[in-house]
Amino acid sequence: MLHFQMNEIQKMLAVIGGVLVFATLLFWIWAKLKPSNLVTEMMLRTKSWWVMASFFVTAALVHPLISFAAFAFLSFLALRELSSISKNARTEDRSIVFVAYLAIPIQYFLAYMAWHNAFLMFIPVFMFALIPFLLVLRGQTQDIARSMSVIPTHLMLTVFSISHLAYLLSFPDLKGFEVGGRGLLLYVVFLTEMNDVFQFTWGKLLGKRKIIEKISPNKTWEGFIGGLLSTIAAAYFLRFLTPFSDGVALLCGLLIACTGFVGDTIVSAIKRDFGLKDTGTLIKGHGGILDRIDSLVISAPFFFYFVYLLYY
Amino acid sequence: MRLSSSTLFIFCITSLKFLVLFLIYKILFPIPLRILGIKIYGRKHLSTQKQFILVANHNSHLDTMSLLSSIPLDLLAKTHPVATSQYFGRKKFLVLLSNFLVNTVLIQRKEDEQPTPEGQTEKSNALELLEKKLAQGHSLILFPEGTRGQPEQMQDFRKGIGVLLQKFPNIPYIPVYIQGMGKILPKDSLLPVPFDASVSIGTAKFAQNENIVEIVEEVRREILNLKD
Repeated sequence: MLHFQMNEIQKMLAVIGGVLVFATLLFWIWAKLKPSNLVTEMMLRTKSWWVMASFFVTAALVHPLISFAAFAFLSFLALRELSSISKNARTEDRSIVFVAYLAIPIQYFLAYMAWHNAFLMFIPVFMFALIPFLLVLRGQTQDIARSMSVIPTHLMLTVFSISHLAYLLSFPDLKGFEVGGRGLLLYVVFLTEMNDVFQFTWGKLLGKRKIIEKISPNKTWEGFIGGLLSTIAAAYFLRFLTPFSDGVALLCGLLIACTGFVGDTIVSAIKRDFGLKDTGTLIKGHGGILDRIDSLVISAPFFFYFVYLLYY
Repeated sequence: MRLSSSTLFIFCITSLKFLVLFLIYKILFPIPLRILGIKIYGRKHLSTQKQFILVANHNSHLDTMSLLSSIPLDLLAKTHPVATSQYFGRKKFLVLLSNFLVNTVLIQRKEDEQPTPEGQTEKSNALELLEKKLAQGHSLILFPEGTRGQPEQMQDFRKGIGVLLQKFPNIPYIPVYIQGMGKILPKDSLLPVPFDASVSIGTAKFAQNENIVEIVEEVRREILNLKD
């Protein structure tokens, strides 16, 4: 008898592949039997999950240098998109936005070198001082506070947060935990995305009581609770990717479900401010990267420090 | 038949120019333009045409660069962006450079006409130059606003496009709406900053009107129709 033992990463790939194939088949059959707008939307979403899954799986498996470059590029795309839809920074401050872009290679270099303190400080301490000061040097105080608040926030949302995903790959080896950073990366990304799906599905099935109607009309308490419980269960079953004990895995599921929700609503609120949510259609030149990573914006750093403080 | 040396020279220059345009707009530029955030829509509308006048709104030098990079290769050497000699004709080497690297036709805008050193006012031959190119079967890229202006604000159109389309009713115009480019590289700036921008190329159309002013209005309307 052929005996085939899968390692943890292979198991995870099987899970991801299984979920994607299942979703694709489900919506395909559903669309054949009973076409509706919802199914069409779900098929489109499934397509974007395939793209995302390929991106993160590749990033987790190839040489770390390529992974870091890929994550840096993801941050770049997200920052470009956020700066483009945002009407809050003054247009004359485009040279300062350029400086914000320069923070990306530096932040990812610090993550690659695993210089943790410098990595942690660079954006919230150094760039937080540099960008307002450069704005001051331009000498125009009219509306300066807008640019001062908006540009550093964009950096935090798109560069600081996403770089924590890349840093997971730089974690040193732990005794008795062979999977390492690649496993942690797949774990947090998969759970965050699945949490979105769970919340959406439970919301569609049972949703009645809205949480914050003005920001996200689709978010209901039933969806949130259902998603939370499903994510906790998934976190428990996938704990082979992590050094977590059973209890810690459950706690981590709770953390990812809550922070995923928080990130999602923050980005939704920003987009609503610029009138992008109501149109429903993608604006030309608007890539929709933020839609893909909105939940990760908060869950990535929270997960990072959760693991970092407990195990490293 | 013997090839005269001047024919050979022109042949060499032409193929060198073709090579340079190919390298710049098909190899060198597309990826950096994409990374800067420029998305081009409707490129297929160009591939079915042999001769056309591209008419676009104008905010940045990148307008010309991204339009040239979307022109099919076989038409690239025969497509000329129209630029003002006031801007690009200031120095001999600039003329040479814009001719060789951007394939421009330089014309003089009305307001820039100045008496020549000899004392006589030079008659504007701007449109004659363009008509000659069209008669040769070449295509043009025209920015009827005449200048790049303020970011995201469309100015009034000049009459030139109307005159050309009236005189060449068999050449279609292709409206193009460009959005966001003035944020990436506005006038008076040398530093490109990435922002999302889009170039929307419309379908080729023949002028429906005969009156010059009405043609200009029509073209402007078609460009604005591509806006959303």
